[in-house]
Amino acid sequence: MAFGSEASVGHRGEGAAEAAGETKRRRFAFSPAYLYATPVHLLVLGIIVLPAIFVLWLSFEASSFGQSATFVGFDNYIRVLTDPYFWGSVWNTVLVVAVAVHIELLLGLGLALLFASGLPLQRVMLVVVLAPYAISEVTAVAMWRFLFDPDVGPITLMLRYTGLPTLDWTFIPSHGLILVGLLTIWLHLPFTFIILYAARLAVPKELYEAGRTDGANAFQLFRNITLPLLAPAMLIALLFRYIFAFRLFSEVWLLTQGGPARTTEVVSVYLYQEGFRYNSFGTAAATAWMMVVISLLLATGYVWRLRKESMANAF
Amino acid sequence: MPLHMTRRALLTTAMAAGATGALGRLAHAQVKTLNVLCHRVHQANLTTGAAGNVIKPWEDKNDAQISWTTLDSNPLQDRLFREASLSETDFNVGYVIDNRMTSQIASLFEPLDDLRKAEPIEDFDDIAEGLRQSMTVGGKLVGVPVRHATQGLFYNEELLQEAGISAPPNTLEELVEQAKKLTFTSRSGTPVVGMILASDLAVFPVMFARAFGGDFIDKQFKVVPDPEAMEKGLSVLADLFKAGALPRSYATTRNDDMVTWMQQGRAAFAVLPFARYAQLNNKEQSTAPGKIKAIEFPGSKTLSSGHEMHPVVESWAMAIPANSTDKKLSWSYIRFVASKAATLDMARNGNGPVRTSTYAEPSFAGSLPQAKVEAAALAKARPAFPAFPEAARAQSTFLEEVQLAVLGRKSPKEAVAAIVDRVKPLMPA
Repeated sequence: MAFGSEASVGHRGEGAAEAAGETKRRRFAFSPAYLYATPVHLLVLGIIVLPAIFVLWLSFEASSFGQSATFVGFDNYIRVLTDPYFWGSVWNTVLVVAVAVHIELLLGLGLALLFASGLPLQRVMLVVVLAPYAISEVTAVAMWRFLFDPDVGPITLMLRYTGLPTLDWTFIPSHGLILVGLLTIWLHLPFTFIILYAARLAVPKELYEAGRTDGANAFQLFRNITLPLLAPAMLIALLFRYIFAFRLFSEVWLLTQGGPARTTEVVSVYLYQEGFRYNSFGTAAATAWMMVVISLLLATGYVWRLRKESMANAF
Repeated sequence: MPLHMTRRALLTTAMAAGATGALGRLAHAQVKTLNVLCHRVHQANLTTGAAGNVIKPWEDKNDAQISWTTLDSNPLQDRLFREASLSETDFNVGYVIDNRMTSQIASLFEPLDDLRKAEPIEDFDDIAEGLRQSMTVGGKLVGVPVRHATQGLFYNEELLQEAGISAPPNTLEELVEQAKKLTFTSRSGTPVVGMILASDLAVFPVMFARAFGGDFIDKQFKVVPDPEAMEKGLSVLADLFKAGALPRSYATTRNDDMVTWMQQGRAAFAVLPFARYAQLNNKEQSTAPGKIKAIEFPGSKTLSSGHEMHPVVESWAMAIPANSTDKKLSWSYIRFVASKAATLDMARNGNGPVRTSTYAEPSFAGSLPQAKVEAAALAKARPAFPAFPEAARAQSTFLEEVQLAVLGRKSPKEAVAAIVDRVKPLMPA
């Protein structure tokens, strides 16, 4: 018994060793798939990894035009973190992003449900809703700038004519941020909408039929069927929009350039000013890395929640 | 139908094709290319306008063709300095703004003294002294001035007449009074503001400070040498804004907006470079062609007789990146463009001429009504501030405080104190 046991153990041990060797051989065996994937990896390495490493190196150097880079340790990070304008820009960014992204989600969800419930001229309406995504940001900002011009803008004049309050965005910083938020929502709503609409169309009709048979009303159907099934898509939309929106630049730069007096500045504009206006590459690089860290922190929560939900669904 | 070709025909065809290719390469080798990095306006002044293509004779003589890369001012400076920081650049000539030529930036460009000694520029001293000085860093000439933008006061004569004003202002106080009076709805139904000013350039508040004998940063790098004069300048701007004589959108108004507002008859006065005269009076773009006129910016009546109103001048110069190739060809281009004849022709094409003799040329002075005024202004003009490494940050800080004062969020006194406190640490040691 003992022998047999030893023999069987020995046999199992040999088998395991062979299996491990096989796995190792498989792991290191040349496969044409590696060759096919090489260009993509080289591309990613060349345009993302290496520049990111360079920017990380730059963030520890004092560097400008006509001046060789000198190591300054964490000086650039300290300079940025102790600059009240950096924190002002972080606050503005978080405010605009948090408000805009959640309003986009609500509107996107509402529109997705509206479209799923059936609309007259659905295809035309779909084009209308998706149109802002096809417009370049520069064109969109120029258009909105004109529409909301404080002196001759058609919307401003209409609001004034009807006695409604106007957006004094060139003078009052909070109005400037509201306009940036509205523009961001208008520009990016199609992204959130299309994700949620696709997810809504994927929900089997049978579930709703079963719900109705059980006597569920419209709100109960939404609460117990639509919302749980759309939750992963909503999280994906939120995650992407948070990351994209955190890089918010052209809307602010083209509308207010961060003014008046830097009161509507967002982090990307702060970075741009450091890098391209003041030619202070070290502090610009440090700001860029801090943006990456903040974006990752924002994303982590959502990714964690997403993973938890998918694991729960898997079991 | 099958193609029949003999070996002889094939050989002949192959030889002919090879010879054609070789000839093409030979021809290509004979034409040299000069890569120029500049603003669109520099290219336009050299190639189009009343004087035609000014650079063509140089291209013909040197068997060279120019490859233009044009960008807006700030991106242009950024690209040029990046190119000049590399181990080698394809750009042979780059255009630099005077207030960007710091000692660090100057080290990226070829010192031109030896080239000038070997092949001199025609009557170099004829180029305005202040402009030459701004391109002389550490005793070395690093750029040759090619264009100046001296600020003047433009006014819409039609609007002045409509408001019953017979003559443009002689003093700053008159200007304020007229600007307020001209904040009205014109006969055409257009709402008019007295004055349009961009808020993103130091030029404008500096002009108002200089009207009282003040300044932002003087030649000796003293920040706000006369705080009282700066306060008065900012108070005037704040007063104009409060009265609605500056538009509500002041904080987002840019340089190009000023031109548009003047062309559309939406503003009565604007501070702009004299060289904008042709554009402002362009029949295809302007609602008042020939009626937008320029005078020197008036100083305050409180300005003592010993003080002159020094308008702001900004200039561009041509420089050769130290890491570029074929510097001889680059210098040949610079010499040609800086010559008297080319300066005159470029001026006729709308360029601000850097040579004082150009203003005396009857063919130029006779054709441009503002030429005499511009020459007088240029003679006493000074840059808005000298070049130093943190100049861009200093300008932004200054503008931020100016905006706060103009919009009424800070008193001019507080703003001036903040300018001094915040800009002083940025000054070179």
